[in-house]
Amino acid sequence: MEKKISVKVCLGTTCFVMGSANLQELIEMVPKKYGEKVEVTGVPCLGLCSIDWEFSKAPYVKVDEDVIKEATVEKVLKAIDDKLAAMN
Amino acid sequence: MFIDIDCNQVKKYNQNAYGDYFVSKRYPDEARLIAVLSDGLGSGIKANILSCMTATMLLKFIENGQIPIRKAAEIIMNSLPVCKVRHISYSTFSAIDCDDYGSAKIVEEGNPEFIWIRNNEVMEPEYEIIQSKTFKNRKMRLYKLQLRLGDRLIFCSDGVTQAGLGSGRLKLGLRREGLIVLLEDKLKENPDISSSELSQYLVNQARNIETDRNPKDDISTCVLYFREPRESLIFTGPPYHQQKDAEYAKLFANFRGKKAICGGTTANLISRELNRPIEMDSTISIGKLPSCSYMEGVDLVTEGILTLTKTLEYLESNTTDIDNAAGKLVKFLLDSDCINFMVGAKLNQAHYDPALPIEIEIRKNIIKKMAAILQDKYFKKVSIQYM
Repeated sequence: MEKKISVKVCLGTTCFVMGSANLQELIEMVPKKYGEKVEVTGVPCLGLCSIDWEFSKAPYVKVDEDVIKEATVEKVLKAIDDKLAAMN
Repeated sequence: MFIDIDCNQVKKYNQNAYGDYFVSKRYPDEARLIAVLSDGLGSGIKANILSCMTATMLLKFIENGQIPIRKAAEIIMNSLPVCKVRHISYSTFSAIDCDDYGSAKIVEEGNPEFIWIRNNEVMEPEYEIIQSKTFKNRKMRLYKLQLRLGDRLIFCSDGVTQAGLGSGRLKLGLRREGLIVLLEDKLKENPDISSSELSQYLVNQARNIETDRNPKDDISTCVLYFREPRESLIFTGPPYHQQKDAEYAKLFANFRGKKAICGGTTANLISRELNRPIEMDSTISIGKLPSCSYMEGVDLVTEGILTLTKTLEYLESNTTDIDNAAGKLVKFLLDSDCINFMVGAKLNQAHYDPALPIEIEIRKNIIKKMAAILQDKYFKKVSIQYM
């Protein structure tokens, strides 16, 4: 079976106020665009802001093991595209 | 024991103020509760003022502790003026002073006798009659009771016992006997019914008996239910010393009662320590708050500070039935009697970054405010443990 790409959107306090609320679009968009190949979920907290706080790069999203800082819908989609391209 | 108390009322038909007045106060330090129900002479504004004065004064007298309930009630009984038109006293009252261990003192002057139910049977308590020294036709009853787990006390105004008076079916009104039948039937159907629901039910039934559902007098029912407290625990924030995570997670796991986790990092911590996976809701946010997640054995898992801040706002403004994480937390809190907070003292530096678009409150402060409002406004017993 083909391995799925997992996209985890951090819904911790910092990420949420810094804009992860706006990543709701991904939940609808990704299954339409990529079907079963990619799975998007929220996670309570990725624990990244407390390590990286001085640079304030929230919101964070993880695409498999890669961390996307200051994530936007475009950045996440690009990261998924890159992953898929690398897999093929 | 926890004393679940509530009162429901309807106004007399065509009146814009309640002629009956109910007041109750909990004293958590003394494990004590005082409640007074007073029925003012006549109806509308006049009755409202009379009953309100009687009830609040009686409560103030009793709560001070300088005079016992018997003396306080006697003073009121002896000093209530007589209405020039009707030649009866300005107001009637029932008052109860009880504690969590079940000992209760009750005084009644003019109101229908209260009903004491134990194991679905009506008890017949002994009482002492105290005659007024100033008014020949005035006397009060004084009861001393020892209540047990599961006991209920029902107080009502004469608007309940006289409901339907003169109508075709019940010429003499509902009366005490009729009220007891209603009560017994309801308790058979729903043995664990809350005081709020039971008093609402009785008031509705009394109203239904009235011709055209228009009450001819103010109708009030106050119910006290002595039961096991519903305990709940809210775990929020990681402990200051990380090496204590396991210990606190174990305390959380072993708690008997409903449990909630407020905080993403906190949820991860519990998940890691107890080896229970977290599942997220399929949406990211509902109503400007992060959505809830789910964990086995935990009744509610939410984000931390934002949800707590919103919850406090809802509690302050009496907002219920909101379909977001804070709304669920409000319901969780209001469905409990004894609320325990475990509050982690560790701060997340990122929350105090000036670049953040909104100000994030300090967890400890929100919890302190929440505890105060739960105690003072919602009569909950609250304890806070810092970790």
